[in-house]
Amino acid sequence: MRFLKRPTPDLATQRLTGALAPEAARIRRAARLTTIAALLWPAMAALVALSFGALVTGTATTAQILGASAAFLAIGALRMGLSVRASALLDRSADVVLAAERAALLSTQERLSPRAEGRANSAAVAALLVDKLPHLRPYIMRARPAAMRAAIVPLVLLALSATMSWTVALILMVAGPLIPVFMALVGLAAREASEKQMDEIGTLSTLLSERLGALLDIRLLDARPRMLRDFEDRAESLRERTMAVLRVAFLSSTVLELFSAIGVAMVAVYVGFALLGELGFGAYATPLTLTEGVFLLMLAPEFFQPLRDLAASWHDKAAALAVARDLTEIEAGDDSTILGDGATATPLPGAAPIRLRGLSLGAMRFPDLDIAPGASVAFTGPSGSGKSTLIALIGGLVAPDAGQVLIGDKPVGPETADAWRARIAWVPQSPHFLRGPLRDTLTLGLPEADADSIARGLALASAEDVVARLPQGLETPLGESGAGVSGGEARRLMLARAALSGRPVILADEPTADLDAETAADITEALCALSDKGATVIVATHDAALAAAMGTRIDLGHARQESAA
Amino acid sequence: MSPLLRIFLLLWREERASLSRGFLLSVAVLVAGGALLGLSGWFIVAAGAAGLAGIGIAFDVFRPSAGVRFLALGRTAARYGERLLTHDATLRALARLRVRLLERLSARDALTLSGLRSSETLNRLTADVDALDGIAIRLAFPIAAGAVTLALAFAVIAWLVTPLVAAMVTLPLALGGAAVLMVTGRAGIASAARAEAARQTFRSRAIDHLRGRTGLAFAGALPASHGMALNAEAEGRAAERHLARLDRWADTLVASAGLIAAAGALVIGGLLALADVIPPAAAAIGVFAALALTEVLAPLQRGVAEIGRMRDAAARVVPLLEEPVQDPAPGNPVSRDDTDLIELRDLAVAPPGSQIPLLPPLTLTVAAGETVALTGRSGRGKSTLLAAISGLSSPLSGEIRIAGHDLATLDESRLRGLLGYLPQRSALISGTVRDNLALAAPDATDTEMEALLDAVGLWPVLAGNGGLDMALGEAGSGLSGGESRRLALVRTLLRKPPALLLDEPTEGLDPASSAKVMAAIRSHLPHSAILIATHRQAEIKACNRSLAI
Repeated sequence: MRFLKRPTPDLATQRLTGALAPEAARIRRAARLTTIAALLWPAMAALVALSFGALVTGTATTAQILGASAAFLAIGALRMGLSVRASALLDRSADVVLAAERAALLSTQERLSPRAEGRANSAAVAALLVDKLPHLRPYIMRARPAAMRAAIVPLVLLALSATMSWTVALILMVAGPLIPVFMALVGLAAREASEKQMDEIGTLSTLLSERLGALLDIRLLDARPRMLRDFEDRAESLRERTMAVLRVAFLSSTVLELFSAIGVAMVAVYVGFALLGELGFGAYATPLTLTEGVFLLMLAPEFFQPLRDLAASWHDKAAALAVARDLTEIEAGDDSTILGDGATATPLPGAAPIRLRGLSLGAMRFPDLDIAPGASVAFTGPSGSGKSTLIALIGGLVAPDAGQVLIGDKPVGPETADAWRARIAWVPQSPHFLRGPLRDTLTLGLPEADADSIARGLALASAEDVVARLPQGLETPLGESGAGVSGGEARRLMLARAALSGRPVILADEPTADLDAETAADITEALCALSDKGATVIVATHDAALAAAMGTRIDLGHARQESAA
Repeated sequence: MSPLLRIFLLLWREERASLSRGFLLSVAVLVAGGALLGLSGWFIVAAGAAGLAGIGIAFDVFRPSAGVRFLALGRTAARYGERLLTHDATLRALARLRVRLLERLSARDALTLSGLRSSETLNRLTADVDALDGIAIRLAFPIAAGAVTLALAFAVIAWLVTPLVAAMVTLPLALGGAAVLMVTGRAGIASAARAEAARQTFRSRAIDHLRGRTGLAFAGALPASHGMALNAEAEGRAAERHLARLDRWADTLVASAGLIAAAGALVIGGLLALADVIPPAAAAIGVFAALALTEVLAPLQRGVAEIGRMRDAAARVVPLLEEPVQDPAPGNPVSRDDTDLIELRDLAVAPPGSQIPLLPPLTLTVAAGETVALTGRSGRGKSTLLAAISGLSSPLSGEIRIAGHDLATLDESRLRGLLGYLPQRSALISGTVRDNLALAAPDATDTEMEALLDAVGLWPVLAGNGGLDMALGEAGSGLSGGESRRLALVRTLLRKPPALLLDEPTEGLDPASSAKVMAAIRSHLPHSAILIATHRQAEIKACNRSLAI
């Protein structure tokens, strides 16, 4: 089958080999065991053949029959043991590879800077982690051992047959290699098409999930009967198209089976005629004996079996390569990561000024700036002027190309970022609520927060009424995007979290975007209250009212022009 | 009755023809396989015996050798047919299950329907349905075809050889198969359920972890959350390992059954041949048939994890599939009361699950041709109010009349014909822009669609991408938030409802575009009564009056 492989291994193949590398030795060992198990078959066949040879020639004894059966059972049991051992080893390898790949993917994705958002969406990464990576398992369990068996077992059986009858060897030799040739000719194109169709069946599941998600709209549009009819039609046309392709695609496996069936039948018929003495050719000096005949008949199907296994594992390999391709794509997309590990750390000590020095990232250049403890600063400017990027730089969420963010005289870097962030309360543009009760989101990373501090935080952000309206108060699960509270309420809850954390620095990215004026005013008021209590407040905003409420305004669009001039 | 059997019977009732065709060919393949090897073994041993006895000339070689060739080719042909027909049956069953599920779920109440928007629920449900696809082909057929084949094999071998050899060949295989099903299938269900639960937990934790990663980093909780996600992952792998262990047990059982059948056939057949009860060639039939019939058990070997998973999924899906479906009765066109199309009297509403009214009781009428804005800060209950007026949730008290009819007395189809509603969040579907619009208004012409799309400022976006034929991805992806919003609005407007409820219809648009959209709504529906929940100046300005709540 070697010639079916592409001449040079592409990225996906390299990635797949790389993923399996730590377990390569164990996988090889297991593949060897399955090969040895397959090679025990001739011994079992010989026992059966000798028994019938003796029975027909009349030389058989009870002891011989019982002995042969017992030996047949014993070797069979050994063979079974080897297979079970091999599959245990392979299962272990698959488990290890899966665990390692999942942990590695999660680790790289979780440290992606928010600036890399949109590179890979979380649901797609989760699908890769949860649903697609397990496709490596059947590849490891079946495809790898099948490849080794296909390379060794047919050759050994062919050689064994050749010692008894060159005709049988010739039949096998012609029918065997023809299988891959025909598969290549008939199969590949059709298989590719069938893969596409199998994807479409996946699409039907996607379609179902999408329609289920849109059922409320469908009811509001009175489109239920139409939707059902439409879905039925799509499923039916999918079936018709799929069947058209499958008819061709199955031909390839039928051709394969046809060759092995014809091979076995020809061996059987040849052996039968030779034993009757009607065919004088094909065997060596002595005419073929019955023992040899039975033996050859039993070898024939096992000659084809490894080739059929290999063909059957084709899908496993294709699926594994598809996963490897997804991995290489996602890994190629990674660029900027956050500084530090996002782990708990002792906060940087003291109230130190935040000093920006020569910061630049990509095409953006930022002005030098000192922010004193307790100051309030608004970064303003048109979209694309780098407001949010500057907030991310200050928070250690992305590394600058040049320049430094200094806290006192300590630069924010991989070593200090966690300790620096331990002083910051973060108010994001799109609030994210953890699964589980609202309380968990509010007190995330604040193990010492108690009922009092939560109440104070909610009061400061005037968010008590939001919690009071929730059916289970603080214990209400809000889901990932905060369903159950409005956009403004979600922001107020995020501010409450900042307030109750008691952290001395507040970083807020567009905290009033898309809010009605009244709610925006509440948010601004809460930020001012935090500032009055001594917190350093830094916001990126295009809301003029919020900017006006801050002590200092930095127009990044303008500043950039200045520094460019 | 087990949920698996119920789902199978449900499919069987509706897809009897395709399923039985596939089943018959499954049996044909197995029977031909057993017959081929049995006949070959007999042929060779008999030919050898005849050759030795010097009566080779008298031996009829042609019928057996023709039989061997026929069975070899016939088996291959049957295999081809089986593959085609079982796939056909699978695809039909797959469609049937999904249509049935959609039919049942789409008739549920609004709360359930909005619950279906949660990706967690959707993932779980679709994964369960996917798991059931193989119920006929990978579970029911192999068991039934295996049993039928073994029964046939018993009869034929008993007739050709002796019942003793027949029993020796078929009994271990039947017992082995039953043992695999009983022991491992039973033990597998708990692990399969555990593996599936862990899989979904891992998915939701991974999504939560990745989406919330910035907040987690500031909280110093990134490693802890990473650990939580991987705990679920490890739990899932532990369950998978247990299933793999069960699979190995199944392998062992199947292989042992095959070995015992073959060795037993060799002992009994050999001893009987030694005693001259049967000729050696007849003994060969038993041994070779035993070797071939092991194939009957092969599908069970890899099915253990799957059986557990199917039973787990079936238990959740069966109640959904079997619930009676209540089709909303088709409505008659209603003669329209041209004056007060929306009337609210002392209406009090509360969010789902609460009994505490959000607002003081509200009385309001919106006349034909009038646009009224409901204003007030977010969270005051504007959306809850619109949901109640649209009949999606029940008010605490008060009366709602649409075109003079009490809301409670209108059947669904009539209500939707009278009242259009654009909620705050709406879902588009994959397909073309035309597909999306035709879903709402199948009779709308291309010209109408284009004109309205142009009026809301969406046509310039679409025109360069194929216009009405522009293909949207899953759930309408490919359009920006503001564009999706306007497409959903156009979808609602095309139905020309006499009364219309809009929840922040121009969210995400700049004031100039907002004004344009508001003007388009009014000029498309000059005589409709329109009630808008909004806090945006551009929207409020386009209304005749506004009511602050």
